[in-house]
Amino acid sequence: MSVTTRALGGALAAIVGADGVAEPATAVDGRPARWLVRPRTLDEAAGIVALAHDEALAVVPRGAGTAQALGSPPERVDVVLDLGGLDAILEHNPEDMTATVQAGVTAGALAARLAAHRQTLPLDPPGWASRTVGGIAATAASGPLRVRYGTMRDLLLGVRFIQADGVVTWGGAKVVKSVSGYDIPKLLVGSLGTLAVLGELTLRLHPLPEVEATSFVPLASVETALDLAASIVDSTLQPSRLELLDAAALAATRLPAATAGLVVSFGSVEPAVRAQQAVIAVAAGRRSARVETMGPGFWTIYDRMLARTGVTALRVSTAAARLTATLGQVRAALGGVRDVVVTACVPLGLLRVAVGAAEPAVVAGVVERLREVVAAEDGSVVIERGPAELRTRVDPWGPVPPPALTLMRGLKQEFDPQRTLNPGRFVGGI
Amino acid sequence: MGLSAEVVAELRRIVGVDGLVLTAEGRMVYECDMHTFYKGAPDAVVLPVRTDQVQGIVRACRAARVPIVPRGSGTGLIGGAMAPQGGVMVSMNRMNAILEIDPPNRCAIVQPGLINLWLSNAVRERGWFFAPDPSSQMVSSIGGNVSTNAGGPHCLKYGITTNHVLGLEMVTGNGEVVQLGGKTADRPGYDLTGVAVGSEGTFGLVTAVTVRLTHLPEAVKTVLAAFRSVVEASETVSAIIASGMIPAALEMLDEAIISAINAGTGAGYPEGAGAVLLIELDGPRAEVETQGERAAALCRAHGALSVSVARTEAERALLWKGRKEAAGAVGRLTSAYLLQDAVVPRSKLPQIMREMVAIGERYRLRIANVFHAGDGNLHPMICYDDRRPDELERAKEANEELLRACIALGGSVTGEHGNGLDKGKNLPLQYAEADLNFMYRLRRVFDPDHLMNPGKLLPTHPACGEGFRPQRPVLPAGTWV
Repeated sequence: MSVTTRALGGALAAIVGADGVAEPATAVDGRPARWLVRPRTLDEAAGIVALAHDEALAVVPRGAGTAQALGSPPERVDVVLDLGGLDAILEHNPEDMTATVQAGVTAGALAARLAAHRQTLPLDPPGWASRTVGGIAATAASGPLRVRYGTMRDLLLGVRFIQADGVVTWGGAKVVKSVSGYDIPKLLVGSLGTLAVLGELTLRLHPLPEVEATSFVPLASVETALDLAASIVDSTLQPSRLELLDAAALAATRLPAATAGLVVSFGSVEPAVRAQQAVIAVAAGRRSARVETMGPGFWTIYDRMLARTGVTALRVSTAAARLTATLGQVRAALGGVRDVVVTACVPLGLLRVAVGAAEPAVVAGVVERLREVVAAEDGSVVIERGPAELRTRVDPWGPVPPPALTLMRGLKQEFDPQRTLNPGRFVGGI
Repeated sequence: MGLSAEVVAELRRIVGVDGLVLTAEGRMVYECDMHTFYKGAPDAVVLPVRTDQVQGIVRACRAARVPIVPRGSGTGLIGGAMAPQGGVMVSMNRMNAILEIDPPNRCAIVQPGLINLWLSNAVRERGWFFAPDPSSQMVSSIGGNVSTNAGGPHCLKYGITTNHVLGLEMVTGNGEVVQLGGKTADRPGYDLTGVAVGSEGTFGLVTAVTVRLTHLPEAVKTVLAAFRSVVEASETVSAIIASGMIPAALEMLDEAIISAINAGTGAGYPEGAGAVLLIELDGPRAEVETQGERAAALCRAHGALSVSVARTEAERALLWKGRKEAAGAVGRLTSAYLLQDAVVPRSKLPQIMREMVAIGERYRLRIANVFHAGDGNLHPMICYDDRRPDELERAKEANEELLRACIALGGSVTGEHGNGLDKGKNLPLQYAEADLNFMYRLRRVFDPDHLMNPGKLLPTHPACGEGFRPQRPVLPAGTWV
């Protein structure tokens, strides 16, 4: 179809109004974008996707734009679809502990609304308060709270989404328990907008604990810290967060200096919180460490540190029981790279490695060496954030085993054969 | 007999004479699951012991265009593990080994035929358990639990099967062996494990499951309260949830069930009680002590006729005894019943219970209820006399009306049993054509020839067929085109 750029701009404006289209848009990962389109309703967003589909335009959906450096730079960008205008909390049913929100609602705005009912959507990926709920779902982003509450995968009950040809579709249910049909929400969590654009999300909520207290344990070695962590995991304690910090991470969060530190939180009724903290104090004492109780602001400081530290952030996944060895191997792989901060969500075997300014070629080498290391554990290394040059030089996702990748490509081919949505950003060039 | 001699010979070559059932009497055992309405015997039953055999079976059937139906223990309630179109049934009973127990990584790898409870029994001494606990857990297989995404009383706190499955090995409808997910977290790519759990064998045959193990709680506290009415008990449920606790289980029994149970096992529920609420809390001792007292106080504040708290494991077992035997006790009320699995938002429980009474009166049928009140998952048993055909018809109509009422309140047609042959037809109540079409296309990616458990999960509906086009947004007309 031979339609001029100018006419297409007019068509976009006919859907969202002249105020809703900016031209040209800011480049995405160095790829020039033609229009930034900001719909006000789900139907407008669907209209934009339908138009883009028919005119063979590439659409890059975005929420708050926090995770635009996740994945490969897009093959093409025509329309940046800014979902920030879909910011309504559509329903909150406190008695059912569910809420339905538009994709552009920030987790912070939702938290404020839920706190009045002492409820929470317990997801705290780095910088969570300003991130959108749709963006957290699309990227499957997680934070320390996943130890207790799981991830978006466990909390997304239903989803209204826009297929690549603009068809508005619903999957899942609005109740906390349903197995009717296929589990479509699972398909879309973490799919990075490559199969559909998320429009509305129905979420399972949790009660805010009456009391949450946080203990900090400075330790003489990483081994001791992980040993203590393992003893917590293999116990009846119910931590809501359990994080390992290396010496640099301790400094970055203004904690007392040590070789390593564990920070553990318990949320429950007061006597249960105190009892569990007492168990930690005893366990720490056995390892010649003293426990310090942290103020409620610690996790805000920690969150800020995770969100801002490092030019590049790597997520290294390994078998939880292999963390000690993997941490040593991470150090070795980093070689002479300086300005490194390492933290870990211990029970899940997830390491976050933040690397300061360094040559992309050097960091790419680190990523490749790390992939070799964790391959034995069936682990993975993902570049969660980093310069476009790095993510061009090395696949930010790493390898996916061919039979599974064939199915993933089959899904893309089925649901977005024209490659309208986020082309080239996901695994295997999807 | 619908199978060609070549296919039979190939199956025999793969699984041997011992692994192949061809006789009419032998196949009849497999003609239905526990939803005995739906009967359809397969043309052959194969009992493989290894993944490569499963792959061989799928490839042989695929080449001959023969439908494949998986089966675990056959305890499903949806007409899932039966063969309406004949074909080959693959029984996973002999693939029942625990392949690996890995407490440091909080997981285990098992074959699909392993009985659910056997896994918990194998890891309990080390302090762990497998959280999904369908009532059938003594006999149902983990592969079957994965297939239907089974729930259970304790999924209120712990989540259903999908929340405890980390990875799958599966032979897809393409005949490929794929590893989906696994022990390590956050694998790059789409969450194929998450999509495959609950796919009821329509994507392929699961040959190994990596499951999450959960640490046993420090303490368990069980409270049983009797109320005059289901409405009072439902209000108590809301109050308990609103107070900020999530019990491990929150189960309710209605008057019909209470009297049936009392007449049988003598669980000793108070006579005249219109509802019994069973509340179980688990976790750190100080937490369950505090919350247990609060839950008991809330029951009293809401007019409970009696409140008992179990002090010992024996007392706890006694409080659960009636609940566990509820389905059997219904036999004292009726010769036959239709079991429903619909869900309503928890806050709508009083409303749906009132509607249920009205529906029962309208159709002149007794409806007994034992259900997971904490998550609004109802299990009404619509009783009828199977010697009277008109009663069955009325029961079916009442069933349909009840489902519609649940959907009208924002619910779901199935909370934990699954779709199978029974509920697939109800999906259009809950999903629009575009939604059904999306699901149909998803299935096609895993099973392009539509041979894997055909006729299950999705309805026969134009949206679930080739050539259907959902309605697209209408674009503004203008000079730009």
